[in-house]
Amino acid sequence: MKKTNILDVVSRKLSPFILLFGVYLVTFGHISPGGGFQGGVALASSLLLILLAQGPRVLASSFPIGRISVIEVLGYGLFLLAGLGGFLLGLGFLSPLLPPPGTIFILNIVIGAKVGAGITLICWHLFQEGEEQE
Amino acid sequence: MIRVFHIMVLILFSLVLMASLLVHREPMEQSKAYFLEWGTRETGAVNLVTALYLAYRAYDTLGETIVLIGAVTGVLVLVERHK
Repeated sequence: MKKTNILDVVSRKLSPFILLFGVYLVTFGHISPGGGFQGGVALASSLLLILLAQGPRVLASSFPIGRISVIEVLGYGLFLLAGLGGFLLGLGFLSPLLPPPGTIFILNIVIGAKVGAGITLICWHLFQEGEEQE
Repeated sequence: MIRVFHIMVLILFSLVLMASLLVHREPMEQSKAYFLEWGTRETGAVNLVTALYLAYRAYDTLGETIVLIGAVTGVLVLVERHK
């Protein structure tokens, strides 16, 4: 497929702003509409814009796929750890450890990173598969 | 014929579900009133959706993350086996 100038410029200028908007959705999830899942999808969409318009090599130079996989697994581990941490203080599973908005804020960030990494990984592998068959 | 039967079963099932939702309104109303009154005060989250899925139902969210990690693993298994 031939890459046009419009695609090149728009994808390069737009993806940082989508990334910023995703971070905003994740970090302000407990105040304004948004949250971990929605913000994670916005993060993933900015990475996928780079992947589709610039090619996998450009995305891999700033976001290596190995690290994205590590984030995916680490996010689950952190969520589980935040749940098990309650046992150390004699509280129940997944009970809030920090003063009120703290736990929700951190869990939102963990979920946002995890959902973004997961959707990027799924789309990355499916697109690679499609390109090899052409 | 079988398709008509399937559609009939679906309609019957949805009618039963709708009836059960209409009959047992009491717990839903109670929990709605509770979350509206106490949700922000107990969790500190102004956004009640976030308060629900990360504070009251965080266990459910843990399950959702397992679903996502399972989806990624499934895609990886299928794609890598295909190569």
